[in-house]
Amino acid sequence: MNHSPNNPIRKLLPPAFWLGAWQLAAFLVDRSVSGRGNELLLPYPLTVARRLLELAGEGAFWGSIFATLGRILAGMVLGTLAGALLAALTCALRWADALLSPAIRVVRAAPVVSFILLVLLWTGKSTVPVVISALMVLPVIWGAVGQGIRSVDPKLLELARAYRFGRWKTLRLVYLPSLAPSFKAAAATSLGLAWKSGVAAEVLCLPERSIGFHIYRSRQYLETPELFAWTVMVVALSLLLEGLLRRFWGGKERGG
Amino acid sequence: MIILDQVCLSYGEKTVMDHLSAQLPAEGILALKGPSGCGKTTLLRMLAGLVKPQSGAIRGCDPRKTAILFQEDRLLPWRTVEQQIQDVLPPGRRGEASSWLERVELSGEEKRWPGELSGGMGRRLALARALALGGELLLLDEPFAGVDPERAARILERIRALEVPTLLVSHEETALRLADRVIPVEGPPLRFL
Repeated sequence: MNHSPNNPIRKLLPPAFWLGAWQLAAFLVDRSVSGRGNELLLPYPLTVARRLLELAGEGAFWGSIFATLGRILAGMVLGTLAGALLAALTCALRWADALLSPAIRVVRAAPVVSFILLVLLWTGKSTVPVVISALMVLPVIWGAVGQGIRSVDPKLLELARAYRFGRWKTLRLVYLPSLAPSFKAAAATSLGLAWKSGVAAEVLCLPERSIGFHIYRSRQYLETPELFAWTVMVVALSLLLEGLLRRFWGGKERGG
Repeated sequence: MIILDQVCLSYGEKTVMDHLSAQLPAEGILALKGPSGCGKTTLLRMLAGLVKPQSGAIRGCDPRKTAILFQEDRLLPWRTVEQQIQDVLPPGRRGEASSWLERVELSGEEKRWPGELSGGMGRRLALARALALGGELLLLDEPFAGVDPERAARILERIRALEVPTLLVSHEETALRLADRVIPVEGPPLRFL
């Protein structure tokens, strides 16, 4: 028997199990609720797959996906840049740490829905998902980069000083490689956060070309299979992006 | 000539240097020999400008023109053997990396990572990096720890051929035997005997 973690059967077993559990649950709902019960409460996986295929044939489907993707990636990039810059600032300057750290902690702790509604008051509805994704990513990246900067080996920093590396070379050869592992882990985590919060913002703000708009409409018209189809798409895209990110970094590491 | 003039240094209650005055010739290979913890490493670090004396002065030594080999290898884990050397060379001289590796008998190891090297190889790589950095004074702290005596002797002769004044701290017999002058020290506080 092949016990390798790369064995395809081993990889397929967990999703197959959960698909089976979904199928069984939908069947039980179907048995206990009469009429369109199961379609309204918990549709069969096959019904969702069929609806997803139908949607994929519509032009608006891909337009909405790319629009949402663009907003969330823009939020991710903005949040990452701001988080990294603020981490450098709060580590370098004591007054900046005293001033900014509490504010960033408040952003991390505050309910996302409050931010969505506030940002909606201040900006256009298409901008809200970008801002919200960025706000969710920022504290995660700030925390990881700050922790990374503080844990850089002081002996390597002393080496950089004694060997006259200069600021840019010290950043490139000591700081960036030292904090790369924690940054990569935080970026992968925050990608999922950006997706969840960005789509939630779309559901509340309803930009016309967006996944969130379709999720809201499906819920309003009780189109549960469509709601599931969009949700499956969000999860699939999030996993795909995370996989691409990890593969890109894996390749970079192998290449030195 | 490196002149130490009434240099004082303490860490809390521990006095490492107490009005230390001495003149060290800035030529050839000079070895400091003394028990562990007597302050030899601190003296090297002070000459490299990494530790400031609390009082007194050092003359005849510009920390910006010294190259120090630390007691630990301090290799960058994410840089290959060749890159470790290239990193300290000016942009126009990166091609010299192989000649510095040759001096410490690490030719052929250019593409390996520090984690793949033995203790002695890591030590020689750190030494090659300090030599490549160069300057007007080499400060070598235990340069041959984990290096076999015959190889250490060959490498020391190549260091001598560079004609850069060298101050080294070592417990290795080979280094002490081949140095131009051995200065016994004791402490703390550090004293030249």
